[in-house]
Amino acid sequence: MRAIPRSSLLLVPLIGFMVLAYLVPFLGIMQWSVTLPEPGLGQYETALTDPLVLSVFLRTLRICLVVTVLSVAAAYMVTLIWVRGTPAQRLAIELCILIPFWISVLTRAFGWLALLSTKGILNTWMQAVGILSEPLMMVRNEFGVIVGMAHFLIPFAAFPLASAMRTVDERVLLAARGMGASRTRTFFQVFVPMTASGIIGAGLVVFVFALGFFVTPAILGGGRIVMAAELIYLRIFQSPNWGLGAAISVVMMVFVGGLLALLMRQARPSGPK
Amino acid sequence: MNTPFETDQIEILAGKARKGDISRRRFTQLAVMLMGSAAVGLRGTPVLAQSGELVFVNWGGDAITAYDTGYGVPFLAESGITVKQDGSGPSEGAIQAQFESGKPTWDILDADPFSAQTLGKKGMMEPIDYTVVDKAKTREGFGWEYAASSYFYSTVIAYDATKFGENPPTSMADFFDVEKFPGKRGMYKWGSGMWEALLLADGVAAADLYPLDMERAHKKLEAFKEHVVGYWGGGAESQSLLMSGDAVMALVWSTRAKLLEQDSGGDIKFIWNEGLVAPGSMAVIKGNPGGRDAAMKFIASAQDPQRQLVLFNLIGHGPANPATDALLPPEDARYNPVDPANFAVQIPLNMEWYEANYGPALDAYLAIISA
Repeated sequence: MRAIPRSSLLLVPLIGFMVLAYLVPFLGIMQWSVTLPEPGLGQYETALTDPLVLSVFLRTLRICLVVTVLSVAAAYMVTLIWVRGTPAQRLAIELCILIPFWISVLTRAFGWLALLSTKGILNTWMQAVGILSEPLMMVRNEFGVIVGMAHFLIPFAAFPLASAMRTVDERVLLAARGMGASRTRTFFQVFVPMTASGIIGAGLVVFVFALGFFVTPAILGGGRIVMAAELIYLRIFQSPNWGLGAAISVVMMVFVGGLLALLMRQARPSGPK
Repeated sequence: MNTPFETDQIEILAGKARKGDISRRRFTQLAVMLMGSAAVGLRGTPVLAQSGELVFVNWGGDAITAYDTGYGVPFLAESGITVKQDGSGPSEGAIQAQFESGKPTWDILDADPFSAQTLGKKGMMEPIDYTVVDKAKTREGFGWEYAASSYFYSTVIAYDATKFGENPPTSMADFFDVEKFPGKRGMYKWGSGMWEALLLADGVAAADLYPLDMERAHKKLEAFKEHVVGYWGGGAESQSLLMSGDAVMALVWSTRAKLLEQDSGGDIKFIWNEGLVAPGSMAVIKGNPGGRDAAMKFIASAQDPQRQLVLFNLIGHGPANPATDALLPPEDARYNPVDPANFAVQIPLNMEWYEANYGPALDAYLAIISA
């Protein structure tokens, strides 16, 4: 057994902080879920059978899947330029990725509202130019939520994709071209599969983030698109049923934990086949 | 009292004065009070009561400035206690969460009386000290063990006048009629007033509303919900729904309806007919950090007719103190929910029903709109 290097002792404060600030409260939540209002697994039964909770879970999964696909696809195209473009293109893309990354989620949500609402910039322009005769409802529904969430998550997808793309061996691509493959073929059949681990990593990161979204669906969903985070909020603050809120939180955590375990396995370099 | 805050307060007051919301005399009075309180603060050893702090929790947006200008600033001047405004929205569940945390950070709340009563009976609220708060300064029939009557507001129909100006809606039935009045609707997310609206539109007479027929109301909601574009959770959201054009008609608080009419330059109007009048109140969490006495003093200070007039001007609160009625200029009566002419066409919400039934009713309502 390899001896633990002394330098890893430096991690102790971080681990201590995580335990105190995260693990202990989470154990408290788990306790609530099995003791409120009475001891037992009743709240879990409710969480997994109540029609409202189930419909919210389904809606969350559906929206998060769509958002993941969109974000990763968009991030892929953006990252391609970021990694393989000219220096000028790379600088422009870097700004485009990093600056929205630094803007608060509230500002972005309200920005989308101003852009997409019935009297907003996009609708007014499209009606003025003649593309539309009636305003199109692009916010306060699932479409708005998906747009807002995907926009927020693209930078998160861009980073794992970028690192995957950077490790692609140029010579393999040259070899493919040399053997007569067209550029399109090289891209789809050689380059993309080589970045597969990055795609899966980005997808998982985006999906896990998206599951916890609260502010963006609340503002862009017109109060109707209730996702898991808002449901927990409602059960804690609006119609208090702390045991149920805790149970829903634990179910989400288990789900996310499972996904992360999948991510870890994916990230481990595969041995000889 | 730090200078940037002072400057900001003066700017807000100046803005209001310029727009004509408050008279120049009022502006000078309030500005002098601001300056005076600054002098007191700088002296270090206040002559007045202990310089503590109170947190007043309201529903956010324009309410924060209104409460601060109307009640917070004068109270600071006379007592040396700073009143911080918190716009989080003191819903019943949020108040309960504050109390059960063991260390509440909220003092006084702009809460629904029925919520204060329900929580008070569970031992979470401080009974109002009616030796400090004067019951004679409130209207007959409004005053509860755990909540002091502080204002009145209605849920009214606000509509896009550019679309329906010629032929405006006149009742709740019109609100739920998408053939006659095409377009999307906005409704309140936390239920109160919505059930009455649904039942009235479904044909129930105002006198027969209570006890509310929940099944009938929810059946109508289920059938209608595809036409609702948004459920607003807070005042500013309701304004945004109409201003952005996403809804052509919405059931909003009369306080925000007044602001909508002003902010939109008349593009959005509202009607009092079949409005649902509700009392607003101030309540105190048991074990509040600022102390029970200071909280009661604040509530008593908010009964002053002049201050209630400021709140009416800034945010359209129907005054709780009948003495304020004499101070209201007649041209502003159209914004007052408890003005006799307006009150006559409205329906008051029944606080007893809400105290007994709000929780489960809200659960069922949310289940329908979130599904």
